[in-house]
Amino acid sequence: MNSYLALIQTYLRLTIRDRAALFFSYFMPLIFFFIFSQMMHAERGTAMLVVNMVLTLGILGTGLFGAGMRATVDRETNILRRFKVAPISPAPMLVASMVVGLFNFIPIYLLVLVLANRLYGMPMPSNMISLTLFVMAGVLAFRAIGLMIAAVANSTQEAQILIQSLYMPMLFLSGATIPVTIMPEWVQTVAQYLPATHLFVGMQSILGGGEPLSHNLAALGALVLTVLVSFFVGVKLFRWEKGEKLSNASKLWVVAVLAPFVLMGMYQTRTKDNIVKNRVFDRELSRRVTYLVRNVRIFTGDGTVIENGGVLVREGHIAEICTGDPPSAKDLKATEIEGAGKTLLPGLIDVHVHLGAPGGFYAKPEDYRAASGFRRPLEAYLYSGVTAVKSAGDATGMALDERNNIRNGTDLGAELFISGPLFTAEGGHGTEYLKMDFIKNMPESARKAMLEDFVRTPKTPQEAADQVAALAGRGVDAIKAVMEAGTPGMLFNRMDASILNAIVTAAHQHHLPASVHTGDIQDVTDVIAAGADSVEHGSARQAIPAGVFRRMKERGIAYDPTVVVYEDMMDLGLGKTDPLDRSLVQQVGPPKLIADTKKYMQSPAAAKIRESFEGSHFNLDLANQNLLVAYQQGVTLVTGTDSGNPLTIHGPAIHRELQLWVQAGIPPAAALQAATWNAAKLLHASDRIGLIHKGYEASFILVDGNPLKDINATERLSSVFFKGEHIRRQDLFDDER
Amino acid sequence: MSESAIEVRGLRKSYDAFEAVRGIDFEVGQGEVFGLLGPNGAGKTTTVEILEGLRPRTQGHVSVLGYDPGVQVNDLKQRIGVCLQATNLPEKITVREALALFSAFYKRTIDRDQLLKRLQLWEKRNVYYTTLSGGQKQRVALALALLNDPQLLFLDEPTTGLDPQVRLEIHSLIQELKDAKRTIVLTTHYIEEAERLCDRVAIIDEGKIIAMGTPREIQAQTIGQSRVEVTASAPLPEDGLPSFTSVAQPVFSTDRTGIVLGSPHPGRTLVEVIKWIDHAGLEVTDVHLKRPTLEDVFIELTGKKLRD
Repeated sequence: MNSYLALIQTYLRLTIRDRAALFFSYFMPLIFFFIFSQMMHAERGTAMLVVNMVLTLGILGTGLFGAGMRATVDRETNILRRFKVAPISPAPMLVASMVVGLFNFIPIYLLVLVLANRLYGMPMPSNMISLTLFVMAGVLAFRAIGLMIAAVANSTQEAQILIQSLYMPMLFLSGATIPVTIMPEWVQTVAQYLPATHLFVGMQSILGGGEPLSHNLAALGALVLTVLVSFFVGVKLFRWEKGEKLSNASKLWVVAVLAPFVLMGMYQTRTKDNIVKNRVFDRELSRRVTYLVRNVRIFTGDGTVIENGGVLVREGHIAEICTGDPPSAKDLKATEIEGAGKTLLPGLIDVHVHLGAPGGFYAKPEDYRAASGFRRPLEAYLYSGVTAVKSAGDATGMALDERNNIRNGTDLGAELFISGPLFTAEGGHGTEYLKMDFIKNMPESARKAMLEDFVRTPKTPQEAADQVAALAGRGVDAIKAVMEAGTPGMLFNRMDASILNAIVTAAHQHHLPASVHTGDIQDVTDVIAAGADSVEHGSARQAIPAGVFRRMKERGIAYDPTVVVYEDMMDLGLGKTDPLDRSLVQQVGPPKLIADTKKYMQSPAAAKIRESFEGSHFNLDLANQNLLVAYQQGVTLVTGTDSGNPLTIHGPAIHRELQLWVQAGIPPAAALQAATWNAAKLLHASDRIGLIHKGYEASFILVDGNPLKDINATERLSSVFFKGEHIRRQDLFDDER
Repeated sequence: MSESAIEVRGLRKSYDAFEAVRGIDFEVGQGEVFGLLGPNGAGKTTTVEILEGLRPRTQGHVSVLGYDPGVQVNDLKQRIGVCLQATNLPEKITVREALALFSAFYKRTIDRDQLLKRLQLWEKRNVYYTTLSGGQKQRVALALALLNDPQLLFLDEPTTGLDPQVRLEIHSLIQELKDAKRTIVLTTHYIEEAERLCDRVAIIDEGKIIAMGTPREIQAQTIGQSRVEVTASAPLPEDGLPSFTSVAQPVFSTDRTGIVLGSPHPGRTLVEVIKWIDHAGLEVTDVHLKRPTLEDVFIELTGKKLRD
């Protein structure tokens, strides 16, 4: 024990007296800290990344150069030869080197944290103990790797080569100097075999992600295992004299030391956990950046317009709204976005979409299968400035999974609200989809999900209430029911009003909004009687009397006319493909979908569909007229699109919906309010989205021009912000376009 | 004196095919200064390292202070002091810190300040190692070897590479230790060092002890065999070598202009050699006649010089 203490004390003294060591362990990291901070604008919210990079660099340095080079030089200069004749074994020498590395690193570790906090406003880590333990494991592991290199290198030159060949890739691929997320995925996969990557990701998860140590046991385990294996090998191969050379075969021990990381790499190659973690962290970081949008017209969502103002975004939320000239971006430590000639409005909300339907026809089943995921449409929504959507009927389990992926940052797409399965009658509208051809073409898991999780057909009010309760337990955001008898040629069994009442009552008991699909006046009347939260579609075949809308207003029920889907269905009936030629559709629609759908529209199969549509009596003018009457009666309007139906493309459809509203006579301001503030209220999310308001989530769009004068301006998207992140729209999805 | 400090019988050490030590026997008594003499590669370092417990032996019996150095290394290291040649210490450790550090490795140590004073290092106690002169560094090495008050001290080429003045200093230090009746094993290839300091000497060559005894005894083995050295103006003829009055075949210098012979009758031998050179038509350019030294004994026994 004396030997250990004496060696630790001596090594500590020697390090403090060694100017080079001080330079590399203190001065250099601080230089890197300030350079990175300048380069990456740490004050705008990236300080955590800077800290992480500097700590990784520091640990690499203290390990490979501090421990590895030092030990080699001590042997080469005959210092160890003197120890050889004393009654001391290699173990205390190795332990002392590791422990001293630890003591030396702690001050710079704390200093960097405090500097980031004081100078750049980084919050001090909440899980300081986890972080410190992990950093300590990292220092010990890399010191151990350094000592192991010293143990196998036969000369200073050999040690240099070994150290550099480990240091260089770790420097560039671990994330310590270059953000890994910009690299091709195969490079990111290769990086998973490097110890420094696990150090970096672990620190990032703990420091940046606020995770406890227990969520990073694999990385911690690999580091600890490295310490143990390196120590064992270091003792076994320890040489006191430069004269004792090591055989090349013994150098294979290096492989043993790196074995934990080979395992980690293989695991990561399969699971891609870390690659996802990096992506998530990158996203978290992007959401923390401070922005100032200035000189911009602001449509707040509730009807208020600020003709010239500024919006400050900080930590993913709207921190300040000001009228006139805001303080300079520099003073606010913000990235400036010039808004002259543009309008800022809350991200659009589409309350009626079907993610599982593609919006057209694929020629080959495998293409359909490839397009059946929920992520791609949500990316398309975000691209189109739609920051939240409500699925109005999809395979619930799949939707819940995707909602989770969006929430935790694994996927980037519009925020997803989920109605559970469609409540309908046995043989009612909704059940017909389960008999259609496309179900057969779905991947097995999706087909199963569809069959089990797409509709509910309760036979009694009690069964309905139980089913609603079960769905509430699964975490759905809303309930969707169908009241629809169909039209001659396409008749449906209609749900009994008593069951609808039970569904709505149960939904309200669980604080879930209930939306109900309707087809005619009777449906709408029953929905009003049941006290649901929104009427979906209203009617496109009957003129709904003003009195009905008056009752809707009185009962506070929202109206979602989804007129765009009627326009698209009529185009479909006429064999027109005009909706597919719109600019935004061309930008977001999967190219194959657009091409295949156009081709399909010329085929005999399409002619049959057209015939079936002739009997359905959809009338866009009637739908528009109902919308206008609803507006005139003061009904709360919301925007839905029924996207996923043929020609109604995920994302762009809401812009067309708004244009149709304005054509129908709705003032642009009212239409925009329906697509933002009103929709947020229907989603029970108006405490955080749908409004440009201090403290609200920074999910908004910036469009060229003034949509209050020309509603087409909403399509001229200049910027999309989602939860504070300035979305790189062109990077959102990558199919073969 | 109950027993020897060191007992070595039939010691052998092989490295793969190469046999570095080929059966060595010797004893070192308590309080004795024992010299191991031999050229580089003779096997003396290997032998000493086996005794110090730094290297395993292949065969033979070894006992050092009653310990088997192949087994009881740590006990042994606690009791011996070793001063290897060309060791170093970290640049920025002070003399005093170095002593303190190494003290921590031993169970029993002597007063360090006393030791520093004895080795004339007191003035330098707070100075960084890197600023010390060669002699001072060697004294620090000696101090470290003496820290644990060792019963047995191994000094491996303690003066190699030092200038003559410093060498004398170290010699007087060793003399002091010798006067204090400390057992010392000294390896060297300085003959005068061995002659001056050692009670007994073993000459090692090619892994074998070829002579052993007090310097005087070894000289006595060849007593009367004075050295006759004659140098000629040109290389001496290869054949027609007459039988000289000498104890062994003559040794020639590498350019074959010089001839060395050991002889109990140097006068007669000298005449014979000069006659022969004259007869060969060559001219004698130099003549030496010397009483034998250890080095001569060594040359005579091994046919090579200690320092090549």
